[in-house]
Amino acid sequence: MRKSGFWVAYSLLLVAQILLSNYFRFTPYITLSILPVMVLCISTRIQPYLCMLIAFFSGLIVDWLSEGVLGLNAFSLVPVALLRNPVIHLVYGEGLFTRKEDFTVKSHGFAKVVMAILMMQTLFLALYIWADGAGLRPFWFGLARFFASLPVGLAVSLMTLNVLAADQHR
Amino acid sequence: MKQRALTGWINFAVFLVLEIASLHMLKHNGDMQKAWLARGSHWVMGSVWGTSQRIHDYFSLAATNQQLSQENFALREQLFQAQEKLQQLRVDSLQLVPRPGFSLIAAEVTKISRNKQHNYLILNRGYEDGIQEKSGIISQNGVVGIVDAVSAHYSYAFSFQNSDISISARLGSEGESGLLVWDGIHTNGAVLKEIPLQQQYHPGDTVFTSGHSLLFPPDIPLGIAGSSKIVNGATSEIEVRLFQDFSAVRYVTVVHNNAFDEIEEFEP
Repeated sequence: MRKSGFWVAYSLLLVAQILLSNYFRFTPYITLSILPVMVLCISTRIQPYLCMLIAFFSGLIVDWLSEGVLGLNAFSLVPVALLRNPVIHLVYGEGLFTRKEDFTVKSHGFAKVVMAILMMQTLFLALYIWADGAGLRPFWFGLARFFASLPVGLAVSLMTLNVLAADQHR
Repeated sequence: MKQRALTGWINFAVFLVLEIASLHMLKHNGDMQKAWLARGSHWVMGSVWGTSQRIHDYFSLAATNQQLSQENFALREQLFQAQEKLQQLRVDSLQLVPRPGFSLIAAEVTKISRNKQHNYLILNRGYEDGIQEKSGIISQNGVVGIVDAVSAHYSYAFSFQNSDISISARLGSEGESGLLVWDGIHTNGAVLKEIPLQQQYHPGDTVFTSGHSLLFPPDIPLGIAGSSKIVNGATSEIEVRLFQDFSAVRYVTVVHNNAFDEIEEFEP
């Protein structure tokens, strides 16, 4: 995908996330977010601090235009951006950075992609649910919410990945 | 390498700034989050203040010790004065002339040896401070030693952990007196010698100064009696575990019998 194409897709997915946050709230046990996978798909050539800034403003836009508390998505997404490179290192090794490649399913395999998304989703959901509960909701509720949200989030993230990182090597 | 480290610091700084900004927004936009963050910040501040207070307390221990030592000395002085007054009342009731008592001077141990057979200590007080030779040295845990030589600002003393030193000690409050000497082996071990065989005692009894010595006032607790053995079929030797920890002794009181010279004149 060309650079401009990526950012158009990224912007459209941000709108999709705002719609998801506003209209797809069927149960309090499920938090649906594609923001972690969107951050994961940002080019590895972009410096981590820039990636964190993008993540922060993405989270802030979603917070602002949806029913959540302002700062909640931003708070949960910035650590995801900080740990994006270490996670990619861990799952794919040094090669992705030395070859200056981006993150795709076709070139790196489904299992590794699932592993990377799971790690990002886990970090994001853990922080989001913790901050959203603000220590007032029972632990079991947070745990149930986390385990209900994780598979749904993974499924939606895999679909998102097809939009953001499908045609990397065309 | 330097470039990489710098980038790492920049990333971390940006992360901190963005997270603080997020938390600030959370605090001002969510009631639950506001209370949650307030609790969190109170906990952090409490921990920080608590730790800094503990650090401050640690570094002010020397001053606290000094202050406690002064208080301890003042209390001991009051105790001795009260004992002398009590003695005075007894003397008055018997129509006798009062006897001079003990004078007390607070001192600090400048140097102490512990790993010899003839151990010594040096105190930071000399004859200009009123210290005299042949004075006893005590602490709140018992007898420490005997002043042997005095300079203007320092005193040289034999430690109780010295095989040449013996002090008169008594078993319990009413028991027989004997000579208490260091056992030469343990830092808190002593032997009470020359106790008559007929003397009944129980392991665990407290050993006190007898007051028969010219150097130490009576009834200073010295240690706990342990097992005994018969020596030459004539007397008992009783093991004593001393209260005094010679490795930790720092603040002491020098006691001088004001009647020492007068009594010494009778000695051959």
